[in-house]
Amino acid sequence: MMPAVNAETEETRYGTFLDLGLMARFLGYARPHRRWLGLAMLLPPLGALAQVAQPMVIQMAVDRHLLTGDMTGFGVLLLVLAALVFGQFLAGYLQSTVNAMLGQRVIGDLRKELFAHLLTLDAAFFAKNPSGALTNRVANDAEAISQMVSSGLINLFGDLFLLVAIAVGMVLLSPQLAVVVVVLMPLVIAVAFQVTRRMRLIQRQGTLLMARMTARLTEETEGRDVIRLFHQQQAARERFDQLNRDHRTNADRSNFLEAFQFSFVEAASTAVVAMLFWHGATLMAEGTLTMGVLTAFIDAVRRLFFPIRDLAGKFTTMQSAMSALERVFALLDTKAAIVDPPVAVCHTLPERPQGAIRFHGVQCGYGSDVVLSDLDLTIAPGERIAIVGPTGAGKSTLIKLLNRTIETQRGVVTIDDVPVNQIPLARLRRLAGVARQETFLFAGSVADNIGLFDPTITKERIAWAARETGAWEFIQRLPDGLESRLSERGNNLSAGQRQLVGMTRIFALDPPILVLDEATSSVDAVSERLIQTALERLMVNRTSVIIAHRLSTIRHVDRIVVLAKGRIIETGTHEELLAHHGLFATLHALQFQGASGRRGLENLK
Amino acid sequence: MRLRLRHLLPLFSGQKRAFALGFMLLAITNASAAAIPYVMKLTTETLMHQQMPGWYIFMLLALALLNAFFRIQSRTCIFGIGRDVEFALRRAYHAKLLSLDAPFFNQEKTGDLAARAAADVSAVRMFVGPGFLQISNVFMAYAATLPVMIMLDPWLTLYTLAPIPLVLGLSRLLTRRMYRLSRVVADRFGHLSGFIQESIAGIAAIHAHAREADWQRRFAHENEELAQAAIRHARLQSLFGPMVVLAGAIGGFIILAHGGGEVAAGRLTMGDFIAFSGYLAMLIWPTVGFGWILTVMQRGLAALDRISGVLDAQPFLAAEVAAAPARPERWPGAIGIDNLEFAFRPGTPVLHGITLEIPAGALIGLAGRIGCGKSALLQVLARLYPVPAGTIRIDGQDLTTIPEAELRRELTMVPQESFLFSAPLIQNLLLNRTDEGRSRTEAAVTTAALDEEVQRFPKGLDTMIGERGITLSGGQRQRAALARALLGDPSILLLDDVFAHVDARTEERILANLRHANHRRTVVMVCHRIAALQRADCIHLMDQGRIVASGTHESLLATSELYRDLNMTMSRTEALEALSQ
Repeated sequence: MMPAVNAETEETRYGTFLDLGLMARFLGYARPHRRWLGLAMLLPPLGALAQVAQPMVIQMAVDRHLLTGDMTGFGVLLLVLAALVFGQFLAGYLQSTVNAMLGQRVIGDLRKELFAHLLTLDAAFFAKNPSGALTNRVANDAEAISQMVSSGLINLFGDLFLLVAIAVGMVLLSPQLAVVVVVLMPLVIAVAFQVTRRMRLIQRQGTLLMARMTARLTEETEGRDVIRLFHQQQAARERFDQLNRDHRTNADRSNFLEAFQFSFVEAASTAVVAMLFWHGATLMAEGTLTMGVLTAFIDAVRRLFFPIRDLAGKFTTMQSAMSALERVFALLDTKAAIVDPPVAVCHTLPERPQGAIRFHGVQCGYGSDVVLSDLDLTIAPGERIAIVGPTGAGKSTLIKLLNRTIETQRGVVTIDDVPVNQIPLARLRRLAGVARQETFLFAGSVADNIGLFDPTITKERIAWAARETGAWEFIQRLPDGLESRLSERGNNLSAGQRQLVGMTRIFALDPPILVLDEATSSVDAVSERLIQTALERLMVNRTSVIIAHRLSTIRHVDRIVVLAKGRIIETGTHEELLAHHGLFATLHALQFQGASGRRGLENLK
Repeated sequence: MRLRLRHLLPLFSGQKRAFALGFMLLAITNASAAAIPYVMKLTTETLMHQQMPGWYIFMLLALALLNAFFRIQSRTCIFGIGRDVEFALRRAYHAKLLSLDAPFFNQEKTGDLAARAAADVSAVRMFVGPGFLQISNVFMAYAATLPVMIMLDPWLTLYTLAPIPLVLGLSRLLTRRMYRLSRVVADRFGHLSGFIQESIAGIAAIHAHAREADWQRRFAHENEELAQAAIRHARLQSLFGPMVVLAGAIGGFIILAHGGGEVAAGRLTMGDFIAFSGYLAMLIWPTVGFGWILTVMQRGLAALDRISGVLDAQPFLAAEVAAAPARPERWPGAIGIDNLEFAFRPGTPVLHGITLEIPAGALIGLAGRIGCGKSALLQVLARLYPVPAGTIRIDGQDLTTIPEAELRRELTMVPQESFLFSAPLIQNLLLNRTDEGRSRTEAAVTTAALDEEVQRFPKGLDTMIGERGITLSGGQRQRAALARALLGDPSILLLDDVFAHVDARTEERILANLRHANHRRTVVMVCHRIAALQRADCIHLMDQGRIVASGTHESLLATSELYRDLNMTMSRTEALEALSQ
């Protein structure tokens, strides 16, 4: 029933350690920061040199001064050591800081590009991809890549450099003694690597189990009524306990590996020191080794073991970053289906175009479902059109075609005789102002939601627009007026107030074409009146296409288009259509004469 | 302090022996660790005298092994205690949540409750396991090394340890500020994620008004905020590692600067010199760890407070009722309500003076405008909210005195928004009523008119529902919930607008099926459909929390203005629905 705990999801999969193709592409993002990158690459060797030099100074101190008792020049050595110690500290500090900064800067650029790319993608893409996964790409995957920059790649390079530098230093001091370290070291690294790998796997399992517990708890909280109504507390407790117990068992294994890793490296360093003593004793007896060199080796071994502890950890950081890179680039490579026209066919309409709209032989659908077929409709400049029809008739598809939210399969939509796909997208969408049925409200103030964060729309203009629509009436009663913060998705506004905000947007942006999808949800009487007044004002001097649900709206337009099953079945003025006794007359009767309309409907069938 | 730990201390009582064992193991670990530099000193001195140190080498190896063994044992033992406490605390927290009822949950955010079970319980574990380990460790490390060091050279000991207070102070300061800044980073990260999520949700609005450029600008701002916070955090964090190394190096420098002269003068042996370096290395990490753990413990205490907030909450409904009078295995299912007053929040009553008698086996409709109190009445009848004793009677017995298990067996509600778990459909329907089999489930699915659709599901009744499976439509969810309720074969069934998303034909089928059940159960339904209300034995019309009229569909049509209004609205909606099909 439940998928196995170790089931890998796309999000947790580890990639290969290093994919050169991905890396090469990624390095393109580091190019603008190449100075910082240069510094970041320079610091680890400097730090490593400062470290390697320290055991050498100690060797000199021991052999030349401590054992001979001759202290002349000892002070200079101490100064050198102090400088090295401080140099190592500085290099270490700068290295992490520069790395972190580089990581943030490079990822900042990548994130911006990702987000900008997301904004160009079309509605069909967003319908297919859950918003959580997309958010993960821009937020979490980018974070994993940032980790790679700041603590993976460059540090790994630094650590490896340090290991090699120390090894070289040892060989320089005493090749015979260095053999001990060079032979034992790969063994220690191999074990540490294996343990870290397993540890990471188990820790990931722990994270997964924790996520499952959180998911369970969330579900139980949301479905608490079901649990209570069906007396499921005992069963819920048993299921949760099982997960909790698995998590506990898993933690034991992870605890053991952690303790093992910690103690193993410690013990290995002592063992290597013991071997140094043992081999060193023979060499000293032969006279080929001094006490100072041996002391320096002991010091160097301690330095060597420090990076080994998390060397393997850095490799796993790289792995998760590689799979994140893969996903991020895949998203960047997704082509937008609706794009600006090529320059060759690009038309820029005059500043204030006439606003004549024409649908010519339009067919449109989603996959094999045809929503609109062979539709012809001509709307004169300044004309006010109401579109009515039952749910699923294709009303909203019609207005989506107008601002190219979707594209036609056949036929063409024109504005002032220019096909919409030959008008730059931004221009087109400023031409046709669309107010949807549900006004989406963003986190921010009322003013932000009217001007939609456009800095060129002044506060005065926003206030003016609000007065024009009558939204001002409720806005001024809010605690901070236009500056009042809206709660999540505008829950503190009623449905009617939200639609008014959407209409005020249109006023503020002032497009020559108005496209409005009236809210179907019931609004209170006051909002209803305000919306009607706002609509009448909005329609002045604008070509208006309204998906209408209210008689009052229908009465104020020049022409009514009745749409059913993707075709226009009736068109004409209010009076003409009523006289026609068709679908419109039936709908009209239903809505405004109550139950008696039902009979009319049955007759129609 | 004892008060803050009140929920934690009882969990320790069973752990006394584990703590003692852990402490002992830790003592051996530290003692064997302290012996290593000393043996190194002895080895060095042997070498200086041109002798072979074979025996000491063996001792070093043995000590390394012994130390590793005990270190692993002590760490697993002590961290294990932390894990035990984590397990027990999380379990207690979860059990507590299950016992709490609607009034509690209405004040809490789901995400917050889940976060406490995960992050906060883990923070408390850090308080117990690593907290105990680090604190014991730092004391033992000093206890084991200090005497030996002082014995070797008191002055050098003093000089060597000079940077230690600095290390401790800095470590404490840095970890505290790092923790604060990491909260800021997490916050900013949350903002950025939230912004992305909101932008995706509102992408249609952004596209419709060609606002892409402004959104890029806003994103750049959020992005920069995060980067700034992360860089500030990184600056501190970058200081941490090198600072620890620096502290060790300064100690080493002091050993060489002061001790070097002593060795040259012959007052200290080369072996002492090496031993001191070893001891210093032993002390640095526990000291840094101590500073860190104080911060972790502070965090753990705060997390514990958040958990205690839930553990201290009391359910509003009495948990179990003792010595309830025996009732028949099957209830007749008559409901009586006397002058019921009810409010979700004090001061805003939703039900006023409701008095009703519902005979056993009746089909009752509740009608009224949105917000008139119909659903509240059902929720109260289902005992999801507390009501005063004596206001609701089931077959003559006070609702508040009926044992939970029995009540839930005999009385069930199908809420307006039915919740299905991410599990196979059959599990959602059966829950853990194991005595019912697949055939009974199929029967219930048929009664609820979900059978045809289930056949079209990829795996029939075994199809996964929810995030990892298929998404059911609103109507399918409601019918699944109805089937779930029917499977328990309750005597009283409360239905909250279950026909909202089904077409007229399906509605007819369900109503017919409900009536054809082998015995007549009492059904109380909130309903906005004329056909269903027409079948009701009696309709209670509600307005502003009161029952304003009662009677059959026809009699209410004749007598009540409000009901005629409602009827007209309902017929319009139904007709429009019919049109769109």
